[in-house]
Amino acid sequence: MTAPSDRAMWTLLDGLASTLREWSRQSRDFNRLALEIHEIQRAANPVLRRYWDANTARDPSSWEEIPPVPVAAFRDVPIVSGVPEVTFRTSGTTGGGGRRGEHHVASLDLYHASARGNYRRHLLGGLETVSVVSLIPCPEDAPDSSLSVMAGFICREPEVSSATWAFNPEHGVDAGAVREAVGDAFRVGDPVLLLTTAFALVHLLDELAGQGADNRHGNGERASTDGRLPLPEGSRVMETGGFKGRVAAVDRGALYGRVERVLGVPESHIASEYGMTELLSQAYDRVAAAESPCESAARVLRFPPWVRTRALDPATLAPLPPGDSGLLAYFDLANAGSVCHVLTEDFGCTTDDGGLHLLGRAPGASLRGCSLVAESFLRATRRGARS
Amino acid sequence: MPRDRPVDAWILPPAIPAPSTFQHARAGGLTIRYPQPDHDLAGVIISSLRDARRALATFETKELVAILGGVGERFARGLDDRRIGEVAANADLSPAMAETALGGMTQSWTTSALDRLVRAEFRDPGVLDGFVARDRRSIRAASPGVSVHFGAGSVPGVTVTSMVRALLVRSPVLVKPGAGDVALTVRFARALHRADSRLAAAVAVCYWPGGAAASADWEREVLARSDQVVVYGGQGTIESIRARAPATTRLVEHPHSVGVAIVDPGGARDSPESAARAVAMVDQKGCVSTHLILLLGGAREARRWCGQLADRLAALETSLPPAAAPPGQLSAIHQLRGRLAVRSAASQRIEIWSAEGPGWTVILAGGDVFEPIGSRTAWVVPVRDRSACLDALTPLSRVLQTVGLAGPRTEDSELVEGLAALGATRIVPLDQVSFPDTEWLHDGRRPLGELVRWAERR
Repeated sequence: MTAPSDRAMWTLLDGLASTLREWSRQSRDFNRLALEIHEIQRAANPVLRRYWDANTARDPSSWEEIPPVPVAAFRDVPIVSGVPEVTFRTSGTTGGGGRRGEHHVASLDLYHASARGNYRRHLLGGLETVSVVSLIPCPEDAPDSSLSVMAGFICREPEVSSATWAFNPEHGVDAGAVREAVGDAFRVGDPVLLLTTAFALVHLLDELAGQGADNRHGNGERASTDGRLPLPEGSRVMETGGFKGRVAAVDRGALYGRVERVLGVPESHIASEYGMTELLSQAYDRVAAAESPCESAARVLRFPPWVRTRALDPATLAPLPPGDSGLLAYFDLANAGSVCHVLTEDFGCTTDDGGLHLLGRAPGASLRGCSLVAESFLRATRRGARS
Repeated sequence: MPRDRPVDAWILPPAIPAPSTFQHARAGGLTIRYPQPDHDLAGVIISSLRDARRALATFETKELVAILGGVGERFARGLDDRRIGEVAANADLSPAMAETALGGMTQSWTTSALDRLVRAEFRDPGVLDGFVARDRRSIRAASPGVSVHFGAGSVPGVTVTSMVRALLVRSPVLVKPGAGDVALTVRFARALHRADSRLAAAVAVCYWPGGAAASADWEREVLARSDQVVVYGGQGTIESIRARAPATTRLVEHPHSVGVAIVDPGGARDSPESAARAVAMVDQKGCVSTHLILLLGGAREARRWCGQLADRLAALETSLPPAAAPPGQLSAIHQLRGRLAVRSAASQRIEIWSAEGPGWTVILAGGDVFEPIGSRTAWVVPVRDRSACLDALTPLSRVLQTVGLAGPRTEDSELVEGLAALGATRIVPLDQVSFPDTEWLHDGRRPLGELVRWAERR
């Protein structure tokens, strides 16, 4: 038997998917919807209710007053109302006690509704047909990766004439498959949409450079002897996740320069996507191949209008004005099935018009000294436990 | 104390021409200046130190102890406010904390402390000066040759202690201080240079960004040409040096570790105060710093004790203020507190006491939740009895170093034997945790004994 609170949640999620699909044509009251979701989440999720009760003195009158849940909590406790339809997991364990974060998603349809309008606008605009080449693992190989599932959504769009999955979680980038797919795209006259993480992109470029003289398309056309593999005219790149300082930051300018030299895709045709497992909405910093000047202006990340971004003072968590750097917190209405207000470990600043400059992981995370801290501690003690 | 004028992060033996090209870096609140890491300069430094071996060997131990101790005593008498401010800014500590830390560290640099160290290490300290007859042979604690010491992080004085130990065993030494321990190390080395020309020839200090691509040639040369490498650092640093040092170079490793305490509140009324100091000292960045406190007794007693600990930590926030933490560390605190609050909401038994700001945190929880994050965070785990303490510490055996006791006494042989069997290498009263004696068995090894190369004559 379904509890009333669960029924309210399912009604909300169903309605919300439609709301997000129609959002651009409506004038919505973000705050009213945020508080409505908050009330339903309170009723449906006793963990969140107790957390909020312990951290706030009164009923919130605006979304800003709802205490955010830190992303680290996604590593400990299932935060979901009802039965999850899918569980997305973070790829890394940085700062999180050696466990992968888990986002239990109550409605995959809501994720699709949240992601679709945004990727269509930023990646597929103006295209009649396109061949997708993905250096993101396919959803079958990584069913718990929110990024892979989104790449799967993209490949099912009507403009996509073919999809090549050229990354295997075990073997890495398959440059041969990329070359073949590019050759096929030339044959049918399609531009290519390359979906990639920044690190996979670096690996592809390194691989192409290393293979140099052997670079041949599948049909032998446009053979390159200098490590270049020019993509068809109008091709685009969606790159994600390379600038957050997690392992070794990739220099964006240098990477985009290499993309232009090797793949022939100008910077104007590269859109950077910023997303995280714990959020069902994503931000993009550019409309790839935008024609209007305002869409190709300086790179500023923008979420869809059902997300609010704040930079918070790292010491006090008080909101900072646009331009001041702080810890980033998001309120994503698409997270209605889990928790909307999330405090991240990322550092950045907002712009006057609601955009976001991401500066990476908050600097100075590791304690400088000779005391063992969490990540090393967990590595060392886990190893101890095995022996 | 931000300063615009860069602080020199180097001092070389007088025979070496002063370098002419420099790099700059931020080190805490200071800008530091260090010679461009250069393959040729590395070779020149190591050669020069090698030449200094003969002169260094002319010291008798007593004379060396007196000179080193004399310099140490000048530091033990205290530094002026400007120098304390420099050390504090470099180490990311408040001036009050830097002064307290220096007061504790310098106690092991005095003449009497160094004399005690030498006597504790060698039954006859004469073995450092020449062969000494023992049974049917003569033995000698010979110099290991030229040492390179890689310091860690930002606990002021750790690198100086390492440098002094090398000199006591007549090893000319190139010291790379941790970025946050540059100011004190260079100042101490300058004092040694002034104290005796033989020491000046045998002591080089030079910061460089360890493991960076720009330092690769320099580090390769340093590792290849030195005889012994002493490295303090995290897993990554130690593994990296292990991988690059030639097999013929002796490695002495001091990995990061974690300190714990065992407290019986009924047997130690001052235990909240002692625990608070052990947690707060050098903002919990020391290898001896206490992170985990196993508290004997029931839940109600534990809750009351945590409240007392929180009060003491709040008081120390005023008398020994923490330094302003960088955003990443603040983020880690917010993530931890919020994460535990969510776990608590999920009915897992966790209680948190904390400063309004990031100053300190006390967490009462089960042992499985424990993750050291520093920033004056005390994890208190109630335990049933002493044998349960050993069970709780078993997962930490590889990283365990100092155990502070309050209530249980260090004479409790069953507990102490159990702790030693688990891997604890220093078991002391809780109020002595923060500053080890000069002759402590550092990470379970003899501080001078691990450096010398024994020779025998028959």
